[in-house]
Amino acid sequence: MIGLDTVEIAPRINGRETVLEVPVRMTLAEMLRDRLGLYGVKVSCEMQVCGVCTVLVDGQPVSSCTFLAADTDGRRVLTVEGLAEGDRLHPIQQAFVDRFALQCGFCTPGFIMMTKHLLERSPLPDREEIVEHFDGNLCRCTGYAPIIEAVQDAAGRLGRRGS
Amino acid sequence: MGVLPAFRLHRPTTLAQALELVNDDRMPYAGGTELLLAMKEGLLRPTHLVDLKGIGSLRDVRESGSGVSIGALVTHTQAADHPIVVDRLAGLAAVLNRVGNPRVRATGTLAGNLCFAEPRSDVAAALIALGGEVEIASAEGRRAMAVEDFVIGPYTTALEQGELVTGILVPVQPDLRFAYLKHQTTERPTLGVAAAANSHCSLVVGAVGFAPQVFRSPSPSDLDPSAIADRVEVVPDLTGSEEYKRHLVEVYVRRAVAALGGRR
Repeated sequence: MIGLDTVEIAPRINGRETVLEVPVRMTLAEMLRDRLGLYGVKVSCEMQVCGVCTVLVDGQPVSSCTFLAADTDGRRVLTVEGLAEGDRLHPIQQAFVDRFALQCGFCTPGFIMMTKHLLERSPLPDREEIVEHFDGNLCRCTGYAPIIEAVQDAAGRLGRRGS
Repeated sequence: MGVLPAFRLHRPTTLAQALELVNDDRMPYAGGTELLLAMKEGLLRPTHLVDLKGIGSLRDVRESGSGVSIGALVTHTQAADHPIVVDRLAGLAAVLNRVGNPRVRATGTLAGNLCFAEPRSDVAAALIALGGEVEIASAEGRRAMAVEDFVIGPYTTALEQGELVTGILVPVQPDLRFAYLKHQTTERPTLGVAAAANSHCSLVVGAVGFAPQVFRSPSPSDLDPSAIADRVEVVPDLTGSEEYKRHLVEVYVRRAVAALGGRR
């Protein structure tokens, strides 16, 4: 029982079937950035506290800095790069731009992916729900108020689009 | 970017296979929300991880006797959203919805939370107040143990070599009143107070000491918040001095007693 050193995995990343061989110690963030060039995935605290590395795996938010790439076999992985359609930004991205919900932008992909998860679970969240959902996402530029407005704005845009 | 130390991965698909594999150096792995962090920090350096996620029998949430059994692979989010938990253990569901942050809840399992025995665990405090038990399997057979006896100190449990936690059993008591109040300014609580009462009352003070501390009384009104604040073990840290934390304990115990309908 010597165990595996590397594994072959077949995740669907941003809608594209992908086959990779990865060391078992490789994190999802390392795979997305270093193997696939998806630099929208940022890494900062590496302790699941700051939220910049957030991606969705089968629709659930995960901290890709401390999530094994090996665990994405057969699963859907969505990063911020998977949101826009060509040059057209996703309504959540557009809401962040229109509401000035970013300054340096480093935390933004994490906030956007967390927003995607929130609005899928709760299409019209109130302020308290939004604040609580971002318990594990840090922004040092905006003071959070424009981010909350952007989420509410995005909820409106997605609601109109859906109806 | 910090790199995980090298290890080898095992992927058993049955409990029997997993039990053959685990030992001190081959650590069980499910959500990894604590384990992978500790490995990145160099605090733990297992040379093998035994991934339990291929064992389907550990994924269930089901009614079991007069309680609810939550399998070892069930995440905080899955448990909090599960209709049986929402219906029968609404107080626990509310606690689970406030653990850590949404990513931790979506990946981390309840069983893993207990096994890591982080002193500031919301789940440990709540489950002790609710009278929860840990279901344990080994090559010799199965046993159950109260969560209160399982969590014996910081990062220390009563789990023995060759044993695996297979689930958590939470009794359902329809007449039980339950409250969990926490004070939190960082990613982990400074204080968590869980209290449950029907014909008797259990109050658990979590997060301020090395392990959850249990106080029992016939009814919530018999609990003395000031005496509890004097008696609890308190560890000062960056989130507060001993004096501050004792003050918090008194205030939160009083609030918990009030939440259960006690008079103080």
